[in-house]
Amino acid sequence: MVAVVSNNLFTFLIMNKANSFTLIILLVLTITASVISNSSSSSVKMAILGVASLKFIGVAFQFMELKKAHIFWKSSLLFFLTLFSILIWAII
Amino acid sequence: MNTKAIDIKNIYYPPGGILMWIIIFLELFTFGMALIAMVYYGKQEASVFHDSRMLLNSTYGTINTILLLTSGFFMVVSVQELKTNNKKKSQNYLLLTMLFGFLFLILKTIEYNAKLTIGIGIGFNTFFTFYWMLTLFHVIHVIVGLIILGSIYLGLKKEKSNTTIEDVEASAAFWHMCDLIWLLLFPIIYLLF
Repeated sequence: MVAVVSNNLFTFLIMNKANSFTLIILLVLTITASVISNSSSSSVKMAILGVASLKFIGVAFQFMELKKAHIFWKSSLLFFLTLFSILIWAII
Repeated sequence: MNTKAIDIKNIYYPPGGILMWIIIFLELFTFGMALIAMVYYGKQEASVFHDSRMLLNSTYGTINTILLLTSGFFMVVSVQELKTNNKKKSQNYLLLTMLFGFLFLILKTIEYNAKLTIGIGIGFNTFFTFYWMLTLFHVIHVIVGLIILGSIYLGLKKEKSNTTIEDVEASAAFWHMCDLIWLLLFPIIYLLF
């Protein structure tokens, strides 16, 4: 039973390689952000914002297929993300 | 099922449709401005925001992020299966997408209940005013997303389905928008202060 499930899971992950890889990266980044937030280092806030930006890009470009869209949509989203990150960083 | 290919490289046809992307940008700007306001007030009342943030359970926030990301992943797979005419598999992945969405709502309900039990409501302090307003507004989006996905699922289930791939892609774009908004809310509300 366990062998069948793990075999099916493995096949599924291979068939959806790019998206599975993105999901794993996103999950690792989420856990990393959560762990480093407990640190008292001065650069933690910047790291949290950086990790959040990477995750945002991962979902938008891979899951939402923005990587295949017209340059206007890609640059608009990156413009929003940059503006948002700069403003947050300027305030904190 | 109409699976006519659309050139998503065209400026007028982003994945999910131009109207959906206008909504996505409006939503991102709305939540973005509210979060910037929250960080601004956090700077004014640093100790209040830090103490309030410590009252939140960041494990709940982390698990909720994992649930939404996994749900988004299954949504992608569902759309892919539909594009290759595997309607049955697409429906199954759509069900998984909705299951993880429901799990998100269940965990959010547990979190809200824990806060309300100890008397932390919307008027508790500035931090929690932002917390309740932003997370509840997001929860409303998740509920609307689940209703849309439910109607898409029922549409696909019909023998003579008139649900098009564009309908499914637009719904997927809305669902991913819930992910995007949460990816901005989670670090600022649960981790930053």
